[in-house]
Amino acid sequence: MLKKKSMKKSQNNHAWKEKLVNTLAQVANYLLILIIALIIGALVMYLSGKDPIAAYAALWQGAFGNGYRFADTLDRSSIMILAGIAGSIAFRTNIINLGLEGQLYIGAFTAAWVGFTFTNLPSIVHIPLGLIAGILGGAFWTLPVLYLKLRWKIPELVPSLMLNYIAIRLTDYLIAFPFRDPTAPMAGSPLVAASARLPKLIQGSTINIGFIIAILLIFVSYWFIFKTKLGYEMRMVGLNQDFAAAAGLPVRRSIILAMLISGGVIGLGGAIMILGFFGRFLGGFSSGYGWDGFMIAIIAQNHPFAVFPAAIFFGALANGALTMQSVTGVPQAVVAMVKGTLVLFVTVKVFLENIRKGLKKWVM
Amino acid sequence: MAMTEALSVENITKTFPGVIANNDISLSIEKGTIRAIVGENGAGKTTLMNIIYGLYQPDSGQIFINGKEVTFSSPRDAIDQGIGMVHQHFKLVPSYTLAQNIALGVEPRKAIFIDEEKLNSSVQEIAQKYGFTINEKEVSANVSVGEQQRAEILKALYRGVEILVLDEPTAVLTDIETKELFVMLRNLVGQGITILFISHKLREVLEISDEISVMRAGKLVGTVKRDETDECQLAEMMVGRETIGGRIRTPSEKGELVMEIETLSVLDNRDLKAVRNVSLDLYCGEIVGGAGVDGNGQEEFVEALLGLRPISEGIIRIDGKEIQNSSTREIRESGVAYIPSDRYRSGVAIDASIWENMIPGEYYVQPYSNGISLVMPEIIQISDQLIRKFNVSTPGIEVKTGNLSGGNIQRVIAARELGLEKAKVVIASQPTRGIDIAGTEAIRQMLVDYADRGAAVLVISADLDEILALSDRIVVFYEGQILDAGYYDDGIRQSIGWLMTAGKDYCAEEEVDEEITK
Repeated sequence: MLKKKSMKKSQNNHAWKEKLVNTLAQVANYLLILIIALIIGALVMYLSGKDPIAAYAALWQGAFGNGYRFADTLDRSSIMILAGIAGSIAFRTNIINLGLEGQLYIGAFTAAWVGFTFTNLPSIVHIPLGLIAGILGGAFWTLPVLYLKLRWKIPELVPSLMLNYIAIRLTDYLIAFPFRDPTAPMAGSPLVAASARLPKLIQGSTINIGFIIAILLIFVSYWFIFKTKLGYEMRMVGLNQDFAAAAGLPVRRSIILAMLISGGVIGLGGAIMILGFFGRFLGGFSSGYGWDGFMIAIIAQNHPFAVFPAAIFFGALANGALTMQSVTGVPQAVVAMVKGTLVLFVTVKVFLENIRKGLKKWVM
Repeated sequence: MAMTEALSVENITKTFPGVIANNDISLSIEKGTIRAIVGENGAGKTTLMNIIYGLYQPDSGQIFINGKEVTFSSPRDAIDQGIGMVHQHFKLVPSYTLAQNIALGVEPRKAIFIDEEKLNSSVQEIAQKYGFTINEKEVSANVSVGEQQRAEILKALYRGVEILVLDEPTAVLTDIETKELFVMLRNLVGQGITILFISHKLREVLEISDEISVMRAGKLVGTVKRDETDECQLAEMMVGRETIGGRIRTPSEKGELVMEIETLSVLDNRDLKAVRNVSLDLYCGEIVGGAGVDGNGQEEFVEALLGLRPISEGIIRIDGKEIQNSSTREIRESGVAYIPSDRYRSGVAIDASIWENMIPGEYYVQPYSNGISLVMPEIIQISDQLIRKFNVSTPGIEVKTGNLSGGNIQRVIAARELGLEKAKVVIASQPTRGIDIAGTEAIRQMLVDYADRGAAVLVISADLDEILALSDRIVVFYEGQILDAGYYDDGIRQSIGWLMTAGKDYCAEEEVDEEITK
């Protein structure tokens, strides 16, 4: 009995060390990849006659230079977090939802519509209503993809991708004709009612309760993916659909849910951008947040907790890049290159195994 | 009258860890003839062909072509020496035309460009020479399986081979396509090509070959001329006469009827009938062995029973309740355990942890779930208990399942399916394929124990020894039918052999005929 207990203990100890090694190896791997990506960016800047150190300093200043800028970066990260979670949930179920961008537009528009159509609701009703409209809008935009996938076995890749363009043009049309606001500075819908605007967290910054919602959603999605029945089903379907089917798991339901949730979460992101930041739906308002979400999910390997730092990083790059460009003249495109390099190295996993082996020797 | 010998092998031996795949094989094949190599799954036919084609190197032995000794270190050497092989699964680039596939890598060139015109005409020329009809400009993905196969054969001929190895060429063909193939093969030998033909369908072998070599358990049993043999003799050579060792099943009383399958028909992925109008009853406490060469409808049959594949006709009942339109989960809940033939494809998720692979039948009910979330302490406890009961050797239940050995993964599956003792019907498909001896014995014993406890067990296996070790009653899958071989007795091996290869108890019928004429 005693022996069994001590065996159990050493087993636990072993498992604990194994977990530690894996976590450390992941962190070290990310740092290494990040450094490589920044060096490659620096190299390109240097070769084109710019001072990389000044450029990165300006980038840092723009992103984190003072409290307000930091808050703005966090605000920008809210949408990145939601986009990353949306991508992760689909990926976990082995669904490649290339339609995040379109779902974002539709969610943003439905939220804006609720915002400007109802004018005499109290905030406590109007805000949740707007956010829910965003969720429903984003989820709704996945229905054609689901129908084609489940009814005709058409892989989701192409339909979801194509629906992006339809969503962008459709919303362009909506704000150009039926919902045009002639007073808007650019093509846009009417302003949403003040009662639908998300309360700010800090005066002088754009950060609003959307950030809190995004943070909450990290924990909720972690719990959902790893601790619930539905999350288990979705993960098993994602890891091996044939196994899931043979074991009697509801494969179709998991696919439907994953797609709807993915669209809903990014739709919520759209709602937060409109009700929190822009105040009206603007044509072409997203600078590719759906695509960023895709990359964030890949970098975070679909883990909600890893989505957080990746999203902050992407938010910082986005905010800092503006400052970098105006101060040092280094084009924002460098930032896209750094992002791309990151994704590339994360997916090829070149260093991870070696770091893990080295650490194992050292820890165990 | 000395015939010219196109190919011969002498004393070929090849071992893999734990098995002698080829044991001292010697063969000699005359130029311009068709030689069939027949044998059960695992008899060593494919290994021998792969040695002849240069994919494997033999441990010892020699290969001669036209009387000269050759050694191959790769298929390229074999092709250079005039040996071509057509695999069971075709290797064509789907988006290329047939002509592009046929000439792949040896295209006629105009400077650095491929000369498409000459490519097409040279392919057409060679097709005409050997009497093949082929639409060389069509893209491979759009043509029938028969035409893809013709392209594969032409691909070899295009490279000037004189000896053609065909691995189960008829396995994927319809009856008409098979007839067409045979006409073409006759054409080829007429022009001096020598053909080696692997099969386990005796009827076809007798139709097309000049001589037939039979292999069993890595050895060459013998070679016979087509005119001097019949299905009966070949089947006997294939399955042997040896008394069966290792039978672990003691006779038992069968109980009530649990599962009834009536006039079931199922389509395969190509919409051809894979299961034709079969009926089978499974009783409590009885082990039914489903013998048969792979690809005779076993997979489709099992998938239909589990609700994984739609059925085109028929009724399936469990405890009198019809389940043919039920979901897999409902079928599982009515008491069906399933050990799939390909454990990596549908038995486990290898990237998931052991506990995650342990609970797909339980995670959604009390006490493992509270309705929304998983109750981890309960799940950990039951998973721990199961891996100990089934001796899964692992440091813990958090370990990634893919890190376990094949035998241990199979134990994980057995633990999941059998461990909670809920099943009334156990369907085990190739339960010990690719597993070491200790693991095999353990899994067979589990199935026997399960039947002793009153479950109906259906074991489907291409390994005849496994069927004979376990079964009370034996059926044979043959071209989508289920043929009844009867209850286990000492002489059943022969009947199974005939049913497996010829589709009828050929020799038994003959005996009956004789009695009648008397």
